[in-house]
Amino acid sequence: MAFIKSYGVYFPSFTIADNVLHPKGRANKHSIAYVDEDIITLAYAAIEVLKSKSNNLESVDAIIFATTTPVFKERYHASYLADLADLPKGITALDLGTTNRAGTDALILADTMISSGKHANVLVVATDISFPSIGKEARTLFGHGAVAMIVSKDNGIAEIVNTASYSEAVAEEFVYKGERTRYDPRFARTAGFKSNMKTVLSNLTPEDVDSLVINSAYVKLILKTLKTQGFDLQKQLAPDTLIPEYGFCGVAHGLLRLVSAMENVHGTSVLIDYNNGSNVIAINVAEKAQALSSETKDRKSINSYQDYLTIRKQGNFEGKGYKRIEMFSSEMIQEREKDQLKYLKGFECRGCKTVYYMKSARCNHCKGTEFVEKQLSKTGTVYSRTSEHYFPGSFPPINMIVVDLDGGGRITVQQTDDMYQDEKSIINIGDRVSLVLRKMMENDAKPNYFFKCRIVNT
Amino acid sequence: MKERRNIAIIGTGVTKFGELFEHSYDDLVREAGLAAIRDAGIAMDEVQAAWLSTAFPEIGVFKGRSGMDLSEPLNLYDIPVTRVSNFCASGADAIRNAANALEAGECDVAMALGVEKLRDRSPQDSIVKMMVELSHPYYQKGFTAAGTFAVYANRMMHEYGVTREDIANISVKNHYHGTLNEKAHHRVACSLDQVLSSPMVADPLTVMDSCPTTDGAACVIMVRADDVDPTRHDPVYIHGVGLSISTGWDLPFFDPHHDFLSFKATQNAANMAYTQAGITNPMDQIDLVEVHDCFSIVEMLTYEDLGLCKKGEAKELIRGKATMLGGETPVNVSGGLLSCGHPVGATGVRMVVEVAAHLRGRAGDRQVEGATTGVTHNIGGPGAIASVIVLSNEN
Repeated sequence: MAFIKSYGVYFPSFTIADNVLHPKGRANKHSIAYVDEDIITLAYAAIEVLKSKSNNLESVDAIIFATTTPVFKERYHASYLADLADLPKGITALDLGTTNRAGTDALILADTMISSGKHANVLVVATDISFPSIGKEARTLFGHGAVAMIVSKDNGIAEIVNTASYSEAVAEEFVYKGERTRYDPRFARTAGFKSNMKTVLSNLTPEDVDSLVINSAYVKLILKTLKTQGFDLQKQLAPDTLIPEYGFCGVAHGLLRLVSAMENVHGTSVLIDYNNGSNVIAINVAEKAQALSSETKDRKSINSYQDYLTIRKQGNFEGKGYKRIEMFSSEMIQEREKDQLKYLKGFECRGCKTVYYMKSARCNHCKGTEFVEKQLSKTGTVYSRTSEHYFPGSFPPINMIVVDLDGGGRITVQQTDDMYQDEKSIINIGDRVSLVLRKMMENDAKPNYFFKCRIVNT
Repeated sequence: MKERRNIAIIGTGVTKFGELFEHSYDDLVREAGLAAIRDAGIAMDEVQAAWLSTAFPEIGVFKGRSGMDLSEPLNLYDIPVTRVSNFCASGADAIRNAANALEAGECDVAMALGVEKLRDRSPQDSIVKMMVELSHPYYQKGFTAAGTFAVYANRMMHEYGVTREDIANISVKNHYHGTLNEKAHHRVACSLDQVLSSPMVADPLTVMDSCPTTDGAACVIMVRADDVDPTRHDPVYIHGVGLSISTGWDLPFFDPHHDFLSFKATQNAANMAYTQAGITNPMDQIDLVEVHDCFSIVEMLTYEDLGLCKKGEAKELIRGKATMLGGETPVNVSGGLLSCGHPVGATGVRMVVEVAAHLRGRAGDRQVEGATTGVTHNIGGPGAIASVIVLSNEN
């Protein structure tokens, strides 16, 4: 028996409405990763939310990472993420992908790993960043988000009471050699979705279900069947409230719907995550979790299609008057200085207690020679700032912020989520900011991640 | 070193500063070097040791990587020649090293020559390249040189009531001075509105608050003061030389005690040089100053660090026009880096040549009348390395 012990959800700061994507578009929104975000930073941000809920990840003994939009090939994202999140060394790290069901695949696998007794705490992380073809955005349900969950043998928010998986050979659509292929829906939705649902639903008893969550765009096709089987659609079928606000978030979406159930339903929720077959996960919630909305305030709207196009270039930095550049980056520096670069560890002078981010032989204040390592905070107050108009970036200027961190230490970093230099985004001396991990630059070899800051709107 | 320095400059030479496509690095070395030799009234082979200051060969024309790039164009061989690189203080450090060697008796006649050739590169490949493409992948990534000083400007405005106009008026002053200097890169006066409305570089600093990168060279010939021959030489004496590295490339932006209101390196270098020269009241004892105004705000900060005014009062010097030509202590009558431009390795030497011209009464339209004591100041890196040199026409 396993439990969802805790979870963290992250959505990027920006959204775009369908009517900005297309003149005839409606009011539905899509959550859009900023230009310096990718699946790694989204996953990291979700884990940070998890940590902020007082979750100590020291006892995590496995991580499963699900995505259909990997940034690496032939490299384990789960291992990379485990290192970034400072999880225990050498733990089991698995990548799952190729289908939007991979998020719930990961949860079922985690449940199995816990039930087998080989693992005690498995971190499941799911995220996707995909964009539809240019011009088709307003007609496509897409959005970006990430979810991280700790599946544990210890009691938690929800008990995983049952899991099952039902395979299906027919897929309504898929990608082959980079091209999306759709079968004739009259055939595929019958031979695929409806056929598979028949099998799934035959194993469900309406009386045992307080809330039925079906993660599929085709749910309307089986409403009659559900009724016939005895489900009260009004009371038991959970609407997808995420789609209008965030869009469909790929592998994360099934888990996000489960989170939504944990926050809204007391009792037993059953998630049917359909995509070329179904995963079924039944959970029991004794006490409702904190609302999802608490982690998604301060979202900003993208005002123009042009801005959206720049964002979707995702890290191709071309500044004013700048040709494409290849900035210096070094895997060796990253590894050598990982305590500072990844984990934000500093040094406190034993004598005067001044905290430094950078290592030195002597304290610059009292000339003491003894230091103790100190974990720096990710929140602070702005000491000074400037806006760099000649540093290349997708949305110049680059705002550079000198931050005095809470509890000591100073760091100077770029601001992020500052596409629009409006009142909400401009950072002044004395403002409160928080540090977030973002992509600094992208060259042909690899992405490079470091901390940036964003304003904390009070 | 507490005693007064015992060194004389007997020859100076400086090229036109600017976008000198027609001149090679070697041409600039030859022009400045030969001018200084002629001015000193000596033969090339009387030079017994030399120091070459070029800060950034790799973003220039790959010249200046060693002393041989001074020897070759001047055909000055078979003597020790050392390349000096200390960011924007490189030129002044070449002079400091030459002075030390003379005082140590290693040589009797020394040459310090600074040269930089930056305009053969596009702006992206020049100074900006170091910050954008070649530095640490994360620390300070996002800054150009302008930004590293703009954070001082914003803090100074926040703390001391300095206005944007106060900072811009430094540029107005120095661009006026630049019209009087035939060797300056830009010889165009500008109004306050022009400074404020020119394109933003790093808030609040605009293009007109920023010095250009420039080609140029300057050279001095130095001897011990005791070896000055009054019948041959028109000497200027070095009474004090200070150089201090007081922080690192990154530390200012990661040190919680750093207040972004002063440059400790300047204060230390000034203290060293003033102590040697017996300067106790800078505003009264100094007749002119060449300050490292790579960005207008740096000149304002330096007024306080050099002791020309009390802390927080630099704005009053600008508002009262005390540092204009004709004012109490003119600063950057050459036009400063804002007008002359900034061939990094040459700038410190160019400043000494400028102050020497005033002390010798040879500065033409911009002559500071009756000047007997002048000071040069350079600051390099993000306020990390500073040099101060005190010069006098009295031994």
